[in-house]
Amino acid sequence: MTETNPQGTDLANRAASSSSVAIFADGLKKTFHDPQRGVVEAVRGIDLDCRAGEIYGLLGPNGAGKTTTLRMLSTILAPTEGRAEIDGVDVGADPLEVRRRIGFLSGSTGLYPRLTGRETLRYFGQLHGLEAGALEASIEKAIQDFDLSKFADGRCETLSTGQKQRVSIARAVVHDPPVLILDEPTTGLDIMASSDMIEFIESRREAGRCVLFSTHILSEAERLCDRIGVVYGGKMLASGTLDELREDTGKEWLEDVFRELVQRADAATR
Amino acid sequence: MAGGTRGPLNLTDNLSVMGAALKIAAKELLESFRDRQTLLYTFVLPVCMYPALFWVMVQGVLVVQGQKNARDVNVGIVAPAEILALASEALGTDAATDAETGGQVAIVPVDPSLGGDEAKLKALVDEGGNDAPDAIILLPSSLDGDGQAQVYFDSTDSRSEIARERSVNALQRWADDLRVGAAEARNVDPDALDPILVTSNSVAEKKDEGAVLLSLMLPMLLVIMSVLGAFFPAVDLTAGEKERGTAETTMLLPVPRTATHLGKILAVSAAAMIATALNLLALGLSAGHLLDQLGGATGSVVVQLPVGALMSVLPLAVLFAFFVSAMLTGVASLAASFKEGQALLGPVQMVFILPAMAATLPGLTLDMTTAWIPVVNVALAFRAMLVGDVQALPLAICVVALFAAALFAIWFSIRLRSNEQVALAGETLSLGKIFSLLAPSKS
Repeated sequence: MTETNPQGTDLANRAASSSSVAIFADGLKKTFHDPQRGVVEAVRGIDLDCRAGEIYGLLGPNGAGKTTTLRMLSTILAPTEGRAEIDGVDVGADPLEVRRRIGFLSGSTGLYPRLTGRETLRYFGQLHGLEAGALEASIEKAIQDFDLSKFADGRCETLSTGQKQRVSIARAVVHDPPVLILDEPTTGLDIMASSDMIEFIESRREAGRCVLFSTHILSEAERLCDRIGVVYGGKMLASGTLDELREDTGKEWLEDVFRELVQRADAATR
Repeated sequence: MAGGTRGPLNLTDNLSVMGAALKIAAKELLESFRDRQTLLYTFVLPVCMYPALFWVMVQGVLVVQGQKNARDVNVGIVAPAEILALASEALGTDAATDAETGGQVAIVPVDPSLGGDEAKLKALVDEGGNDAPDAIILLPSSLDGDGQAQVYFDSTDSRSEIARERSVNALQRWADDLRVGAAEARNVDPDALDPILVTSNSVAEKKDEGAVLLSLMLPMLLVIMSVLGAFFPAVDLTAGEKERGTAETTMLLPVPRTATHLGKILAVSAAAMIATALNLLALGLSAGHLLDQLGGATGSVVVQLPVGALMSVLPLAVLFAFFVSAMLTGVASLAASFKEGQALLGPVQMVFILPAMAATLPGLTLDMTTAWIPVVNVALAFRAMLVGDVQALPLAICVVALFAAALFAIWFSIRLRSNEQVALAGETLSLGKIFSLLAPSKS
């Protein structure tokens, strides 16, 4: 892995030197074999690191490779090449332990429609190994924190989109994981539900947790992220704080920063 | 990097694979029971089916039997004039009339010149029609005991079949009367002409006869019940999960993938077993009661579900349910939607049901050869156990073969479902792809 961030620091060295790195990826690649399109390189070498108490945003257009990257980090997909660690655990070597240490949420992690919200929380809590007393306390806390009390005992198939989203978040954090990975968490939500989600992400940072999330909504990234990684064509074009990215591109607005980085990448491949 | 922090909550050590699988199975089963379609097709419909099926069958038999007895038929007789008169008298009297319904035999004229032409006689019977003979009796030219009476009828025509039955009965009675008359004319005791009367007496009790009847049907039904019981849950928990958008959620469960898949197989097996038990209960309650209504039509056979024998079959039935469930779950995993899953499992269920029909072949038994043949061995073992005629070695081979088959099916299912392409596939995988997934990986 040779790609560097705008500060010129090698990611692997940084990961080794810092004990607070919660997510670390080095040269992650994913290749699919599609019957129609042949070999598809969805991710072509992604490096990133994200620390505890930090919000890291993966910014990129649709098809950039954000979702595939997050799926590899959460062990849903196995990387074709490269390595990654979550909270010090190797994704390839011990995917089970990784799943215990993350809360993952995306548009395709649906709720089991025939379970109630409370049953969903209990199911995940039990499988995460929460002991009986802690399990019930954790469920009640989640119901309180995410204001689920009015519909916690209704089947998930009967809930509104916003209610489902709240149950989904509660499901993802019922075991209080040190790492939260969110794939476009506000997509499809109305203004109020989006606002709730943004508040939730900020609250996790305040609790010292690491949050990695993908988005193509620039204002969201601008408001929330401590650091941003720009992904395009399956590659990480740049990574750093907003100020570092501005300095690197000479642009003021994130939209312009993004366009500049993409244009540079396109020019380099011509 | 090493020694990261998990959350502050008090988490126990890892659940065992089986512990996790049981928790997953319980959740999957709960979801299955809450699905109307699964509930309807797996539990409610089959349970209602047996009483309904038996009721329709019994009513059908009673109606057909009643219609048959009440029907009037035409019979033609070809014989010399003096014999024709005697035969017409014998067949036209009460002897040929159904005692309960009064269905009669009408003697219709037949051209005597047809007597020697068998082809024309057959053509006349085949022709049918209201005034045409349904059967034709060709009598010998004399009644001195050397000749033979022939009855021509159409076995594919129920009316002709009734005419044959009544003709033969009436001819038998007439022949008896002639024999008695001839004996008396010679001052001989008619009974002396039959010095020994042969009758057969079965030592089997009616309920044992019923058990044999059930042993032919039940093994096949047990197999069919297991397969049908596993069908909908297998599709629902695999392809249905993809359709509902919860496959990725399941992949995030903090348990080994093996436990996830094993949990699904356990849930499908449990559903298959519950469905089988409910089916048997419905069968037991409905069969005996409704078959009693048939009375003579079943020869007064007593049909009782052999509860004791069924309990001895239970361990084998459980193992078979695992085998079936693992296969169906594995295959259904290849589909991307519920509908595709149903289409995939259609042929697969026939792979189980058709060999099970072997158990209905009376001559086929569980031996050292059939004990190795999947499904056939189980059906034959069920039958042997139901009639209490089990040979230890073939049964042991059958158990070992079934155990191996179940293990293979579980491996097959887990191997397929462990692959991310199968678990998240947006379209049904091709056969070539499936084989490549099952092949050992190079790494």
